[in-house]
Amino acid sequence: MRIRFTRRMALAGAVALTAVPAFGQDAWPTGPVRVFVGFPAGSSPDVLARIVTDQLAQRLGQPIVIENRPGAGGVIGVQQMLVSAGDGHTFGTTINGPLTTAQRMMDSTGFDVETDILPVTLIATSPLVLAVSADSDMDDLESFIAAAGADIEAIAYGSVGQGSGAHLTAELFATEAGVSMLHVPFTSYAEVTTSILGGEIDAGFMAPSAALPFVEAGTMRMLGITSAEPFAQAPDVPLIAGNAGLPDDFRAELWNAFIAPAGTDAATIERLNTEIADILADPAVQEQLVTIGWQAAPGTPDDLRARIADDTAMWGAVIDRVETQ
Amino acid sequence: MTTWEGLLFGIGFVTQPEVLIYCFLGVVLGTFVGVLPGIGAMAAISLLLPITYYITPEAALIMLAGVYYGAQYGGAVASILLRLPGTPQSAVTTLDGYPMAQSGRAGVALFTAMASSFVGSVIGIIVLVMLAGWLSRAATAFGAADYAAMMILGLVAASTIGTARPAKGFAMVTLGLLLGCIGTDVNSGAQRFTFGQTELLDGINLVALAMGLFGVAEVIANVRNPDRQSVAARIGLRRLMPTRGDLRRMVPPMLRGSALGSFFGALPGTGSTLSSFLSYSMERRIARQPERFGTGAVEGVAGPESANNSAAITAFAPTLTLGIPGDPIMALLLGALVIHGIQPGPMMLEARPEMFWGLVASFGIGNLLLLILNLPLIGIWVAMLRIPFNYLYPAILVFLCLGVYSVRGLTFDIVAVAGIGLAGYLLAIARFSPALLLLGFVLGPLIETNLRRAFLISRGDPMVFLERPIAAGFVIATVALLLLPVWQAWRRRGAGSRL
Amino acid sequence: MQRDWPDILGGLLLAAIGAGAALWAAMYYDLGSLRRMGPGFFPVALGAVLFLLGLVVALPALARTADAPKIEPATAIAVLAAIVIFAFSLSRLGLAGATAVTVLVATLPAPRKGWVWRIVLAAALTVLTVLVFSVGLRMTLPVWPRLS
Repeated sequence: MRIRFTRRMALAGAVALTAVPAFGQDAWPTGPVRVFVGFPAGSSPDVLARIVTDQLAQRLGQPIVIENRPGAGGVIGVQQMLVSAGDGHTFGTTINGPLTTAQRMMDSTGFDVETDILPVTLIATSPLVLAVSADSDMDDLESFIAAAGADIEAIAYGSVGQGSGAHLTAELFATEAGVSMLHVPFTSYAEVTTSILGGEIDAGFMAPSAALPFVEAGTMRMLGITSAEPFAQAPDVPLIAGNAGLPDDFRAELWNAFIAPAGTDAATIERLNTEIADILADPAVQEQLVTIGWQAAPGTPDDLRARIADDTAMWGAVIDRVETQ
Repeated sequence: MTTWEGLLFGIGFVTQPEVLIYCFLGVVLGTFVGVLPGIGAMAAISLLLPITYYITPEAALIMLAGVYYGAQYGGAVASILLRLPGTPQSAVTTLDGYPMAQSGRAGVALFTAMASSFVGSVIGIIVLVMLAGWLSRAATAFGAADYAAMMILGLVAASTIGTARPAKGFAMVTLGLLLGCIGTDVNSGAQRFTFGQTELLDGINLVALAMGLFGVAEVIANVRNPDRQSVAARIGLRRLMPTRGDLRRMVPPMLRGSALGSFFGALPGTGSTLSSFLSYSMERRIARQPERFGTGAVEGVAGPESANNSAAITAFAPTLTLGIPGDPIMALLLGALVIHGIQPGPMMLEARPEMFWGLVASFGIGNLLLLILNLPLIGIWVAMLRIPFNYLYPAILVFLCLGVYSVRGLTFDIVAVAGIGLAGYLLAIARFSPALLLLGFVLGPLIETNLRRAFLISRGDPMVFLERPIAAGFVIATVALLLLPVWQAWRRRGAGSRL
Repeated sequence: MQRDWPDILGGLLLAAIGAGAALWAAMYYDLGSLRRMGPGFFPVALGAVLFLLGLVVALPALARTADAPKIEPATAIAVLAAIVIFAFSLSRLGLAGATAVTVLVATLPAPRKGWVWRIVLAAALTVLTVLVFSVGLRMTLPVWPRLS
């Protein structure tokens, strides 16, 4: 469903009148900007895109229309952005999956990340937390690894699907910790939560925002977090990196990035990158992102390009191990 | 807060003019989009989401929830008058509602659907208020094996409805289950029967399937059908209201349907679909003249409509008390709260009691508004049948295409409607039941993932289906249901030999 | 009265679909074990069951007679073509153009003669869909044909 912000449009129109002279020599943008999102309205990646584009529209002096094209873990959103490209006003935001692991998990994504997509900027990152039921005996990473290692597949963990960030993160953890766990795929964190609370499975690598309410209610416990630094939304959770014998550089994060189709003007990319960096520097925006589970992490287009390459290699190695099991 | 204090507080909250306005807007918009083929609550809530940035989270939730249950009222209108169900629940309503409309009893069918929806909602609200905590515990107590066993029972119980020959019913359910396999397999990530189409990775679009099987097939069959062109002649004003006999026949199914719906609604997943199919098959099983079903039986509308509406209400139990959404629409509603910085979860009830009680009270007032709004509209809806079919069907086609497009914005889905429509037309000619295909399609992926998950968690031990009390109960009920005809035949023979 | 062709052909078609799906799944997808069922397990099992059910529907029907069903290929083609045309013209002709063309094609099989009512209907429905979907529901579809 495509959604239009009418009130924002009026506002943006007003801004446009005053903004045009300032950018007189810079013709772009000449019309409404479209941003494709590969997730449904109201989902976390969608809300993130709206927070950023809301401010972006005012800065660009043109309305921004969010085009939700959910499906295939975000791949459909990227595809549809590429199909609609060509007018210089079509962009997308996407999570890491379609740019890093999708090429390995799917028969064909229909696009090549290196040649079809221009990175604009990383927007935000989100780690995962290792959560268990509050009724379990495991109260830190050591006891979890001890329980998991005692017997092959003694621990069953839930993920949001084969090849999902949660699954690959758990497998990365298992390899580094030298344990073997039983993978039980679900379709959403809500299902994983229900199953952990019902005592069916033992653990799950979950989005912090999905686990936190249950930790506060005293029904769940978080044993570790996968980020390299403490995460603003859950600052008390110990890092997995450097803990219980895991390597110091252990890091597994989901991320969300702003991308453009190949052929987009270099000046346009530059302009977008600076504007989004400015938006993400605003503490109010950072706080909005934290409430929905994201930590602002702006950077240059080259930073994003490097992140895509690094993560593609890292997760590719994990997928290789999963496939040979 | 005790129940009474809570309710009083909630009613006080909802009757504030600015909250009442949003409740009213929600249910009116819900009815309207529900009538439009294919545009369901999901699409309408997505559309409204940005507007909710500007109002309080309580008002936003009340308005969006109003769209959700309002769309159920509207959906019944499209199903009964035009055979255009946007959801599997409404597909059940077409089974008897549409024949009623075709035989000139559209007004009675609509009245039945609306009265049943209202009764179902009211009972759902009572159950939600009294048993919210218990329902939520039931939701977490159900494991993979329990879900699998429950849904298999549902399939077996429902697979003979809407068809004269049981084998044809089972074949349709199986075809639906098979179609449900299309797309990415959750457990292995394998892409099944997608033939390189990215659009198929999440499976066939449910709205496209329902619109093709019912709407398009119906249009093709009726364009040159002189009977359909003259439906208008059969409508008399005096037939708008139900007779005393109708009323007497519709009350017990309403109560039974509400009970089924209230229970199944609280279970995440398919509570609404399962309870409306189960209600229909139960009514047919206990009816004195089961052969009336499928030709315009009031009970066949009353039971399922009350079931799916009470399920729509009790679905809020796990959503509100645990913060665990049972279906995509509930997830969307919780998403609306997250936008406002409210973290849904088990603490939400304690932290914001006004949210729970305000919402519960808005259900009551919203449903009352819907009833008051819709009863006078029955006449107008029925007048739609007076439009000659020549003028009506091109509009149906364009509207249903746009409805399908509104779900994901993909051209592929509209083309799929044409293909599915052809299949639906052929199925209709050969008298195969599309409703059962839809049931199999919806339950298939859930049965498969839960069954596989149950074996995964039990490390391959099939005894899990007998060791877990809930699963064992459903397994025993399924076996009993399958043996029932055998036992009946044996008893009839026994009775015969004694004579 | 004639042979019960709908059940015979319908049953055989379902049996063919079942057999095809089962064979395809058996060839390309892993069956797995009871503990860890593979992606092929369900499709193969369901395909086999559908194959059998198809035969159960078709074979007894051989001995039955039934009324010949009324099939209207021309109507079906026009209606389905209208949908496909709508799908592909939506982005090029816009909502207004696509609706008008679709309505004109869809009314081809209508029993009422003449062309004036068809044009009036196309115009009226175009206005209606633009009002409901573009103005009312704010779907951001292009309304007019793209000139470039």
